[in-house]
Amino acid sequence: MADIRFEAVQRAFVQGGKEFLAVGGIDLVVANEEFVAIVGPSGCGKTTCMRMVAGLDQPSSGRVLVNGQEVTGPGPERAVVFQQFALFPWKTVFENIAFGLRAMGLGQTEIDDRVNRFISMMGLSGYEQAYPHQLSGGMQQRVAIARAYVLDPGVLLMDEPFGALDAQTRVVMQEELVRLARKNPKTVLFITHAVEEAVYLADRVVVMSRRPGLIREIIDVKSIREKERWDDHPRIEDVMDLGSFVHLRSHIWRTLREQHLGDDQ
Amino acid sequence: MIAAQTSKPWLQTLRLSLTGIVLFLGCWYLAVFLEVTPRRFLPAPHEVLFRFVQLIQEPFVGFTLGQHLLSSFRRFLNGFLLAIAIGIPLGLLMALSRGVQLLVTPIFESIRFVAPIAWVPFAALWFGTGIGGPTLVIFMGAFPPVLINTYRGAIYVDRKYIEAAKMLGAGPIRLMTQVLFPASLPSIVAGLRISAGLGWQSLVGAELIVASSGVGYMMVKGQASIQTQIVMAGMIAIGLVGLLIDILLRRMERRFNRYQEVH
Amino acid sequence: MPSSLPSFVRYLYPPVFLLGTLLAWFAVSEWWQWISPTRFPTPTQTAEAFQRILIQGYGNGRLHQHIVQSVLLVSLSFTISAALGIALGIFMGASRKIEALVNPVFLTLRPIPPLAWIPLAIVWLGLENSAKVMVIFVAAFVPSVINTFTGIRSLEVPQREAARMLGIRGRAYYFEVLIPAAMPMIFTGMRLSLQASWTTLVASELVGAVLGLGSILNQAAQDINPPMILVGMIFVALSGWLMTYGLGLLERLAIPWRPV
Repeated sequence: MADIRFEAVQRAFVQGGKEFLAVGGIDLVVANEEFVAIVGPSGCGKTTCMRMVAGLDQPSSGRVLVNGQEVTGPGPERAVVFQQFALFPWKTVFENIAFGLRAMGLGQTEIDDRVNRFISMMGLSGYEQAYPHQLSGGMQQRVAIARAYVLDPGVLLMDEPFGALDAQTRVVMQEELVRLARKNPKTVLFITHAVEEAVYLADRVVVMSRRPGLIREIIDVKSIREKERWDDHPRIEDVMDLGSFVHLRSHIWRTLREQHLGDDQ
Repeated sequence: MIAAQTSKPWLQTLRLSLTGIVLFLGCWYLAVFLEVTPRRFLPAPHEVLFRFVQLIQEPFVGFTLGQHLLSSFRRFLNGFLLAIAIGIPLGLLMALSRGVQLLVTPIFESIRFVAPIAWVPFAALWFGTGIGGPTLVIFMGAFPPVLINTYRGAIYVDRKYIEAAKMLGAGPIRLMTQVLFPASLPSIVAGLRISAGLGWQSLVGAELIVASSGVGYMMVKGQASIQTQIVMAGMIAIGLVGLLIDILLRRMERRFNRYQEVH
Repeated sequence: MPSSLPSFVRYLYPPVFLLGTLLAWFAVSEWWQWISPTRFPTPTQTAEAFQRILIQGYGNGRLHQHIVQSVLLVSLSFTISAALGIALGIFMGASRKIEALVNPVFLTLRPIPPLAWIPLAIVWLGLENSAKVMVIFVAAFVPSVINTFTGIRSLEVPQREAARMLGIRGRAYYFEVLIPAAMPMIFTGMRLSLQASWTTLVASELVGAVLGLGSILNQAAQDINPPMILVGMIFVALSGWLMTYGLGLLERLAIPWRPV
C-alpha cells in the first residue's frame, strides 16, 4: 500500500539550445488506494508527472515520493500501463503477464495461480497461448493491465491507456477498469485528455494548465459520486446521463477552455 | 533529453574508437614483431602503406595502381550500366503487364540462384579475356537487385496515380516514364546501391580469374610472387573505391527520399 | 497487387513453363542448331555430362562427393562465422562502449569485398580447405554482425521501459528481451551470410580446389567442356537454393510470432 507525494516538483527540458519548463511546480498528494486522474491540454506535462512517479524520468527540482521514499528508478511496485501496450511480441499472453512475477523470483505454482486468476478476471480465458499480434488492440491492453495488476503493485500508473483504442472498445475498457478498481482498489495515477473518462473513473480529477504545467484545479468527484450513487448504474451511458456527471464534466471543460483562450490572446 | 550530463558522450566515443584502432594496429605490429610468420607473408602496416603509395607511381605487371583501378572501374561500369539499362525498364514493364511478369519471373528466379561467379567459365568461353567476360559476371551480380527493387517499387505505386494518368490518355510508354518511374525512384535508388555493391564484388571475383589488367589481376600476380604488400594494397584500393561508390549512392538515396516525403 | 488467376492455373504454370523451356532448348540447340554446341550445350550433351559425373565422376570425384565437400565446408564455416558474428553484434548492440571500440576497425575492413581476401588467403594458407574457410569466414561475418547489431538496437522504447518497470535485469534481459526482439534481423543477417558464404566458396573453389562444385566449373572451363560447365552451374544453383530454403524453415520454427 502506498501513497504518492509531489513536493514542489519541477521538470525542465533543453530543446534547441533553450530551456523550458514542462512541469512548473507541482504539489500533490495521492492518498493510499485513491484513484486520481490528471487531465490537461497536450504538452501540459501530465505524462511527465506520471513518468517521474514511475521512475522513468527525474524531476529537475523538488521530490517525488512513493510511500515516503524518493523514486530513483522504475520497478514493479510502481506498475505502468503504457499507451502503446508495450507487450513483448515474442511472448505469449501468459508469458507476458507472468514475466514480471518470474523476475521477482516467485515460485511457479504461485505464478500460475496469480496469472490465471487475472486472465479470467480480464476476460482473456482461452487466449493464454496466443501471441500479441493475434490480438485486437483492446485485448492487448487487457493483457497489459493484467500484467500490471498481477504484480500487486503499491501504485498503478496509467498513461492514456485507452488512447490507442477505437471509441467503442474504449468505453468497454472504461467499464471494466471501474469494475476492477472497485474490486481491487489500488493507488492509481491515471493520465488522460478525455474529460469524461477522468470523471467516470476517478476519485479526484486534477486539471493542469498549459506549459509550464501547474495545477489549476482539483475536483473532488468521489463525494458527488457517492452522494448521487453513480455505482447504482452499471452501464456507462447511464452514468454519463446523470445531471451530476454532466455538471462535473462541463465544469472541467470550462476550466480547460480558459487555458486555450488564455493562449490565444 | 536529460537535464544533467556527466561528461560529453561524444568525447568518450572518440576516445574508445581511437583505442580500438590503436589496439588493432598494435596487435598487427606485435604479430609482425614476433615474426608469427615470415616477413614476406605478414608485412607491417607501414610497409603496406609505402607500397600503396609506390604503386600509384610505379607500374606493377604493366600498369600503375591508378591504371589498374581505372581498368577495373571501366568493367564495373559496363556491367552496372547494362544492368540498369535492362533492369529498370524490364522491372517497370513487369509491374505494368501481368503477362510480362509471368514470363520473366520463373526465368529470373531460376537464374538468380546461380552465384554470379559461377558464370566465369561461360564468360571466359564466350568472350575470352575481352571486356565481355567480366561484364557478364558483373551484370549477373548487379542485375537482380535492380530488377527486384524496380518491380517492387512500381507495383506498390498507388493505383490511383496510374488510373488518373490513364484517364488523361497516357499510353503505356508515357505511363512507364512519367508515372511509374518517378514514383518508384526511392526503391530503385535503394536497389542501385545494393546492386553496385554486388557488382563491385563480382568484378573482383571475375578479375581474379579472367583478366589481364585490373586490381584483381594485380592482386593475383602479387599473390603468385608472394608480395603480400601488393595484395594488401590491392585490398585497400578495392575497399576505398567500393566505399566511395557506396557513399555517392547513399547521398543520391537521401536526396530522393527527401523528395518523396514532400508528398 | 494483381493476382486474379484461378488457383489451378497457378499450380499448372511452373511445370508447363519448365516443359516449354525444355522444348525451346531442344529446338534452338539441337533441332535447329541456332546456337553452336561449342557455345552452349544441347540438352542431350548436358544429360550425358550429368550421367558421367554422377556415375563415373569428373575432376577428382563423383557428383555427390563434390556436393558433400562444398556443402559441408560452407555449413561448417558459415555456422562458426555466423555464431561469432551474432555474438559480436549482440555485444556491440547492447553496449555503446563496445560499439565505439569495435566500430572503426569494423568499418575499415567492411568495404573490402570478401572475394578480395582470396589472394591473401592463398598467400597465408595455400589452396587448402583452411584458406577457403578463412575467406568464407570474412564473407559471413560482416552481415551477421551488422544485422544483429541493428536488430538489438531496434528494441522499441516502450518495450524497453516496460522491461525496466517489470524489473527485468541481467541474463533475463538479454535472453528474454534484447535477443528475441532482434531475432527477425538476426535471421536476415544469417540469410545474407549464407548467400555470401556460398558465393565465396564457389569463387574460392573456382580459383583452385581439388574437390567441390567450384572445382567442377574450374576443370570444365579448362577442358572447354560446356555441358559440364552447365551441370556445375545447375548444381551450384540447386544447392544454394536448398540451403536458403532450409534456413527459411529454421526461421519459421524459431520465430512463431510477428511484430505487433
